[in-house]
Amino acid sequence: MAPGFSDIVEEARLSARALLDYGDGLFHPTVRLGVTGLSRAGKTVFITALVHGLTRGGRFPVFEPYATGRIAGVRLEPQPDDAVPRFDYENHVRALIEDRRWPNSTVDISELRLVIDYQRQNGADRTLTVDIVDYPGEWLLDLPLLHRSYEQWSAESLALSREGPRAKLAALWHAHLATLAAAAREDEQAARMAAKLFTDYLRACRDERFAMSLLPPGRFLMPGNLADTPALTFAPLDVAIDGSAPDGSLWAMMRRRYESYKAVVVRPFFRDHFARLDRQVVLVDALSAFNAGPEALHDLESALAGILDCFRIGRSTLFSNLFRPRIDRILFAATKADHLHHLSHDRLEAVLRRAVARAADRARYAGAAIDVVALSAVRATREAMVARGREKLPSITGTPAPGEVANGETFDGATEVATFPGDLPEDPEELFKGGFAGLSSAPSEKADFRFLRFRPPLLERHGDEAPALPHIRLDRALQFLIGDRLQ
Amino acid sequence: MSEKTPQRRPATFRLDDPGVIVMDPDATTRPARGTVQVTPESDPALLPVALDAPLLPARRGFRWGALFWSAASGLVLFGLGLGVVNLIEDLFARSQTVGYVALALAAAAALALVVVIAREAFGLARLATIEKLHLRAAEVLRSDDRAESRAVVDELLRLARQNPHLARARASLAGHADDIIDGADMIKLAERELMAPLDEQARRLVSTAAQRVSVVTAISPRALIDVLFVFVAALRLIRQLARLYGGRPGTLGMLSLLRHVIGHLAITGGMAATDSLVQQMLGHGIAAKLSHRLGEGVLNGLLTARLGLAAIDVTRPLPFTALPRPALADLARDLLRKRDGEE
Repeated sequence: MAPGFSDIVEEARLSARALLDYGDGLFHPTVRLGVTGLSRAGKTVFITALVHGLTRGGRFPVFEPYATGRIAGVRLEPQPDDAVPRFDYENHVRALIEDRRWPNSTVDISELRLVIDYQRQNGADRTLTVDIVDYPGEWLLDLPLLHRSYEQWSAESLALSREGPRAKLAALWHAHLATLAAAAREDEQAARMAAKLFTDYLRACRDERFAMSLLPPGRFLMPGNLADTPALTFAPLDVAIDGSAPDGSLWAMMRRRYESYKAVVVRPFFRDHFARLDRQVVLVDALSAFNAGPEALHDLESALAGILDCFRIGRSTLFSNLFRPRIDRILFAATKADHLHHLSHDRLEAVLRRAVARAADRARYAGAAIDVVALSAVRATREAMVARGREKLPSITGTPAPGEVANGETFDGATEVATFPGDLPEDPEELFKGGFAGLSSAPSEKADFRFLRFRPPLLERHGDEAPALPHIRLDRALQFLIGDRLQ
Repeated sequence: MSEKTPQRRPATFRLDDPGVIVMDPDATTRPARGTVQVTPESDPALLPVALDAPLLPARRGFRWGALFWSAASGLVLFGLGLGVVNLIEDLFARSQTVGYVALALAAAAALALVVVIAREAFGLARLATIEKLHLRAAEVLRSDDRAESRAVVDELLRLARQNPHLARARASLAGHADDIIDGADMIKLAERELMAPLDEQARRLVSTAAQRVSVVTAISPRALIDVLFVFVAALRLIRQLARLYGGRPGTLGMLSLLRHVIGHLAITGGMAATDSLVQQMLGHGIAAKLSHRLGEGVLNGLLTARLGLAAIDVTRPLPFTALPRPALADLARDLLRKRDGEE
């Protein structure tokens, strides 16, 4: 798509903002840490654990400035943007530690500012400000729309909805779509009906049995205060990619609404939170894709590729710092590594490496530093070896969340179990070739993997202090993301 | 995890199921047949990580000392050059033949100087490589970074190529290059493969030097001879160790190595004093009871051994993690055994 006038204006705004930030950064060194992840990848838990570990003293042997004692203290400060809600850190910690439940799904954007007082290697006292943003993962799916026209998006959505297990879920919407004529006069009721059925289809795809990731537009799933506005009342139509809409037609109406969705929802979101990042951690929940099946894994792969294409990645230079900030370090993290025995972590990392290979290559080519890690921000399980007859299964023990099902048994949230989730293959390629059965295509006793969801761990309290949260490799993630800024 | 088994199915066991027994990890009793046993494992993330303190803190900021020495030696070189040019001109004025001879001598000297400087620079660069490798390996042990561990091992292999005794170890390590091994484990593997034979040899070098020093001290007629001999033996030992672990120190390299060894000795000396000084003094005391000279010899030998151990720490390209660090006690035992044999 040729850059239009609005794109040029947008660029200018971004550059002006970057210049302002740069001036500010000279006096208060700041890192904008982007915590990116689709919904249910664990963004909120990651941020909570990171803040908790830094402020209350976690166990971070690999995070060098912290382990060697150069960090004097870490505190929370009022955030820079007054219009954005504050990240509800205290409630999330309480939910994790006292109620032993995971924080509720994020419904709106929120922000938090951390200030780290540290001493440099050469002895000078400095502070580093870290700004962190949390947002519903669904919204992230909108970013790829910025570069697509309504016709392109329609064609892609339709093609996708006719594949694999999606076709069944989309049957109702397809039936309604067949009754619509794109060139017919615009009709509010038809548009509302189409949008409703389309949203229902997207919602059905999110079910645990299918675990689809590529479900734009994200606000359809998490509308916030925009529910029922025209900007959210449109749906794909069966139209030609290079066709043009006749005036006053249904097609023209949908197209107009799609454009205003981009203008009202997507662009401000990108401008305020993604165009200015310095460091990025991409959290990926590969395990629920394993649970669901090969289609979910492919879906995850393409969703990640689409999102990562939108970021500005590359080595920082003076010019880029002034006008076009770039992300110079990206960490790809497979979250929920505690749902696997540590012997399988390497294989989980290999799968993630394979899933983000294209994006990682591109980033490396642009000069950014890349790392892939299997981590767990809050470790909910312990490891155990299960011997059944002569078989030894490297397993994990923990308390499954209420309502989780295994062996046809539903857990109440109090029973402890040991579970062996299944062997990940040595070569990740086997998974991507579709050589495994998930819940989307097989009954649960035939599935090759079963990753239960566990409740947060029961922690022992020592005195009044909130206990440190156990984690897996969170310190390595921190070292990679901000360690170099604390030298 | 076994590599060849077909994929195992997922399975879940309730811990309160009567057919499931939670085992004590230390228990040795065999449980009843037909039950499922769950043995909790220690937390890998909580196991202590043994780490070497970095040799010396990395130098930062501008090095005024280096600038002074560079500038001063530049001036001296200019002075020398001027003197030589004047001399040759004078000689030419006297006789053409003598002038040409002098010119040839000067050219030969200049050539030799260039070669010597190049060799020194090469030796220094090599020492710096080893030191950097040591720091990088320590970093990998902490961060468990797989890509970096591969880079460190590659460099180690390049460094070890000159040593013909490591041919088999090199081949077996290169065979592991494509396996999935975590970063820290890769470094430990490299240490076990490449460093084990070298460590053995290094230990022998140190104990030989210590024995020689103790014998010479015991029989030497003059204190001055002791001092000279100890100094020479220490230098020789450090050079031998550096060569063993892949360094090629020239004169300047030796100076910088000596500085590092002494610095390292100063850092670790305090720690060593607490653990073995008592035993050392005790040993010295008993030996001294037997004969004054003998006691002095043993003490000098022990000091040389300690210097050798510090030199091993400095010249070894990998920190000690998988293999035990040679302890003074082992060497002291060698030393005393030898003395016993001689007496």
